[in-house]
Amino acid sequence: MPTANGSLRFRLHAVISGLSIPIFLCLWELVSRSGIVNVVLFPPPSVVAVAMLEWVKSGQFAVDLTFSTFRVVIGFVSGAIFGAAFGILTGRYPLFSSLFSPLFHLLRPIPPIAFVPIVILWFGLSEAGKFFLVFWGVFFTVWLSTHLGVQKVDQGLIRAALTLGTPQRKLLREIIFPGALPYIVVGLRTAVGISFYTLVAAELAGAFAGIVYRIDIAEQNLQTGQVMGGLVVLGAMSFIADRTFASLAQRFVWWR
Amino acid sequence: MTNLIKIWRDDKADPAGSAPQSELRSDDVEIDVNNVSIVFETPKGQVIAADRVSFQVCRGEFMCILGPSGCGKSTVLNSIAGFETPFEGSVSVAGHLVTSPGPDRGMVFQQPNLFPWKTVRQNIAFGPRMLGKDRQHVVEITNTLIEMVGLVRFADAYPHTLSGGMQQRVALARVLANRPSVLLMDEPFGALDAQTRVLMQEHLLKLWAQIRTTVVFVTHDVDEALFLADRVLIMSAGPGRIKCDLKVPLPRPRTQKIALDPAYVAMKEKCLDLIRTASLLAFEQQGAVSK
Repeated sequence: MPTANGSLRFRLHAVISGLSIPIFLCLWELVSRSGIVNVVLFPPPSVVAVAMLEWVKSGQFAVDLTFSTFRVVIGFVSGAIFGAAFGILTGRYPLFSSLFSPLFHLLRPIPPIAFVPIVILWFGLSEAGKFFLVFWGVFFTVWLSTHLGVQKVDQGLIRAALTLGTPQRKLLREIIFPGALPYIVVGLRTAVGISFYTLVAAELAGAFAGIVYRIDIAEQNLQTGQVMGGLVVLGAMSFIADRTFASLAQRFVWWR
Repeated sequence: MTNLIKIWRDDKADPAGSAPQSELRSDDVEIDVNNVSIVFETPKGQVIAADRVSFQVCRGEFMCILGPSGCGKSTVLNSIAGFETPFEGSVSVAGHLVTSPGPDRGMVFQQPNLFPWKTVRQNIAFGPRMLGKDRQHVVEITNTLIEMVGLVRFADAYPHTLSGGMQQRVALARVLANRPSVLLMDEPFGALDAQTRVLMQEHLLKLWAQIRTTVVFVTHDVDEALFLADRVLIMSAGPGRIKCDLKVPLPRPRTQKIALDPAYVAMKEKCLDLIRTASLLAFEQQGAVSK
């Protein structure tokens, strides 16, 4: 019977995917403890878990998490606001596009990480420098997707709005912005990932707290368990941010 | 339905807008297209889309512009809508020179062009809202139009969940919500299947019998033109010119059975001949261009 077969296969897949991570962890534990590898450089997950627990207990984890989250949020929000605003201007008004697009296209391909040295010269090890790096990465991504989104708004919708008596000043809010929103949201989601890349660069360049800063310090002390624990936290943060954003996007662009 | 006519006439500044067609006088000209030429700049050079086109449409008249594709009929319609600026000549509606699109000239396109982020109700309410009408009026006219186009059950649905015919009914209702004095229609049923198209034509005539706006309807379908119009303007291509201006002396209200009327058959024959010559010309020219 095909249906029973189908549901059986479905359940099998569910069980296998549920086992995927535990099997990986067990293998890792076995390999680490078998003596094939150097246990100091390649600690088993149990050691990593203990290191993470101590990190939380010391109270340091809360501080690190707060700093990192704060940097990402400030940089992301400001980059997104400015990126979307400039994208609407350059996408909608050719004069702005002629003025800004060549400059932005020149600056955009430079990897944000390459700005670390100049940011240290300008801002020292202050928080402003970290915000700036995240902002820089987010801004160009959001600008480009907004610019394209505005240009790709269905001309038919604009014409319909004009024959219905929409004044030019309302056209932007009523038609152009919602019309470009699907593109803007895609840009914002890409920028969520980019803001974490730039966070890594910003904290490695010199900081006094933060998840990546903690990884860096632990590496210098050869606390490999702590290093791996930091990676786990960074992965989890990035994952949660992306998932949250995806579900928000669903709500912003409800008609898709 | 009577409700709509009430709303329509109450607020209408000019009661003549609902005058029956038989009372038309020469000073009742609503649309005046005067010697209009429209030129497009293309990479291959200039193309004359419309060549010294002149015609007038009386208030309350239903006129069809009939012609093969590429004859410039949509371009002429766009110049009335205010989307195309004539190279020479002028277009005026109700005595005012047309310079830009406006809510007095409602336009229904081949694509419904509904705002996908708005429900049926919000789409229909859009025009009156943009014109700053008070909330009570917006709600009233929206509800009436939803009822008139038969979409009460879908009032809160989003456009992508509706069929093509339903979407086009929403587009029509959305334009009518502004109570335009002129209704411009650019092959509005061209993308629909044959059965739906016929139903939509009947629906349009029923609505028009009540509101009696001036209609300019662009189509390449002879049957559609003869079924709907008081008057048919036949255009030929390359450059777009008016070839013939025909009255359609068929009685109203019309049903699909009118296609069996000898007068209809005679007119259809005449139109088909004219269209055929025009299409052949266009066909040969397009062939010549592609060589």
